[in-house]
Amino acid sequence: MTRALQILVFIPGLLFIINGLRFAVAPEPMLASLHMEMLDGLGRNSQIGDGGAFFLSMGLMTLLGLVTAKKAWFQAVGMMLILTAIFRILSWLLHGAALAPDLAIVEIVFAIVMLVASRKLARD
Amino acid sequence: MLRLILSASLTCLALTTSVIASDERPNIVLILADDLGYSDIASYGSEIETPHIDALADAGVRFTNYHTAASCAPTRSMLLTGVDSHRNGVPNIPEMLPQDQLAQDNYKGVLNRNVATVASILQSSGYHTYMTGKWHLGKEPDNLPYFRGFERTFAMGDSGADNWEKKPYIPIYKDAFWTADGKETDLPEDFYSSEFLIDTMIEFIDRNKGDDQPFFAYVPFQAVHIPVQAPQEFIDKYMGTYGRGWQVLREQRQQRIKELGIVAKDTEMVSMSTTGDWDSQDAETKKYQSKRMAVYAGMVDAMDHHIGRLIAYLKKTGQYDNTIFIFTSDNGSEPSGVDRVPSAINNAIMRRSQGYTAEYETLGLKGSMNSLGPSFASASASPLSFYKFYAGEGGMRVPLIISGKGISRDVDWQRSFSYVTDITPTILDLTGVSQPGQFFGGRHIEQMIGKSLVPLLNKATDNVYGASDTVGYELGGNKVLFQGNYKLVYNIGPVGDNQWYLYDIAKDPGETKDLAARETKRFQAMLNAYQRYAKDNNVRPIPEGYNQYRQIILNGLRTIAKDNILLFLLTIAVLVPFMLYARSHGRRRQ
Repeated sequence: MTRALQILVFIPGLLFIINGLRFAVAPEPMLASLHMEMLDGLGRNSQIGDGGAFFLSMGLMTLLGLVTAKKAWFQAVGMMLILTAIFRILSWLLHGAALAPDLAIVEIVFAIVMLVASRKLARD
Repeated sequence: MLRLILSASLTCLALTTSVIASDERPNIVLILADDLGYSDIASYGSEIETPHIDALADAGVRFTNYHTAASCAPTRSMLLTGVDSHRNGVPNIPEMLPQDQLAQDNYKGVLNRNVATVASILQSSGYHTYMTGKWHLGKEPDNLPYFRGFERTFAMGDSGADNWEKKPYIPIYKDAFWTADGKETDLPEDFYSSEFLIDTMIEFIDRNKGDDQPFFAYVPFQAVHIPVQAPQEFIDKYMGTYGRGWQVLREQRQQRIKELGIVAKDTEMVSMSTTGDWDSQDAETKKYQSKRMAVYAGMVDAMDHHIGRLIAYLKKTGQYDNTIFIFTSDNGSEPSGVDRVPSAINNAIMRRSQGYTAEYETLGLKGSMNSLGPSFASASASPLSFYKFYAGEGGMRVPLIISGKGISRDVDWQRSFSYVTDITPTILDLTGVSQPGQFFGGRHIEQMIGKSLVPLLNKATDNVYGASDTVGYELGGNKVLFQGNYKLVYNIGPVGDNQWYLYDIAKDPGETKDLAARETKRFQAMLNAYQRYAKDNNVRPIPEGYNQYRQIILNGLRTIAKDNILLFLLTIAVLVPFMLYARSHGRRRQ
């Protein structure tokens, strides 16, 4: 059970790291997968800087949670994912953005996995 | 900022020269077909209907002995600069350059900054300069045509692209790279390349019509490059035309070319080793292959139709009488593809990987991948040997027509030797613009090697090249030296045999009689001259076992895999510390 949960946490963690690095190596297809076009100038700077840091941080925190067995790392990732989903919904409700249920559902599912991991895998 | 300063200085210069120059200076329309074979237009012996190009040919000067490079980007680089491809940075297309050549400064496969384009020179002399079509001389921001002398552009940067939509034609490209005035852009829903390029060119010309400045319009068509595609109504005209096959077509065109007086009656031709035996093909293959050629003919016909629309526009707006047209091709016919019917599995793979099929019913239409194949390519080059990529006459000798203001047809055919680097000096001569000296735009530039063909147009001379003048050429290991009527030539595999041959291409354009053994002194002298050319122009050898098709695949894989390999290595670099930490932590716990 513990091993299965570790694998279940490791996979999104690895994906977050790969996606974070994709912002540095090949941002255009990465942005396209998020339904974004690559902007020019400072817009591009923010897209790559913020996007890369967001994904890479989540991936690193997930792996840190796995190797240190400290719940705060899993909780931090879970919190970031839940907030991302909430802001997605707010952007749709308040600012006329398109609703992205597929992305929000994935984020909520991963957030739940992280919260479960913080209870089952942590030893502090 | 640099562009702003450059534009400002060019504008000042333009204003000055426009005062000096009269509005009598001719407009120039330079039309470049892509992969059009020597006998693919009616006035050069084709059965394909090309009335508008033929009308230009009838009224102008038709060259029978004009040579270009055997591949597109080297031709374009020499066409637009008058400088040898080994000095202008484009000795081969970048997609075919091996790594050790790519490491050399003169082998980047993009137009370097040591040359001035004819567009830059004309622009600085007060010409409007427009371009719509294929560029393929660099996709870097400062190498786009908009930044190489063209005032308005709608350009495609790759070696080719789909003719119906914005889509790459081979998987080495992620997307078709189209730009408008230097910025990446999309294509309209109802896009068909030849139609759109002419519509856009008309729009460019029309916007500045009547402002007293002449224009230079460069229209490098996508037609008839792969994917060979045409509107249904143009394909329908040729269904049933090619049922007798490629060998008969090659012979028919040879006969027609003789009748037209383009070559002597006793001109012989070879049969290429890559030409299949038509009679031994099964009925399904014959039906399929003849439709491939019908689509090709339809694409040539459609290009001609749209050239006709441009001519009609210029006539309607009173600009035709002050315009000189130059029509040519970037190299001979394209042999890529195989002479068989693609299997259902092939179609499924193509559909999945590229969104194409090559099914009979939709051949040439949107979503269809079509090519000519080596056998019909040889017919397109009739009566010449070889085709695109190779240094045989079929790869290098293409039609050249110069027609329009002040040019009359006093001789049936202009038979003197001419070369692609002659076009820029000719345009400058026709427009009364001097060739730049050693410097242009604040940079030291390479000197043009080409010669103006105007003395031929004026009948002031029979030849612009003297008997002792030599013109060297190298592309992907295929080598040539032209001198007088003679051609020393070396073709690599898989179709060539890595041997030097000597031909008299005035008497024997089909390259059927090797004179190397008979004229040993000339052979050796020309070989020495070629070695001098190679040394003077820093021609680099190709690697052992080089194969141009394999190189495209290797370079494509390298392009595609480059990002993924880097991503993989970075991911491993991130994971390793965690693995080491986890392992040491685990040991401590034990």
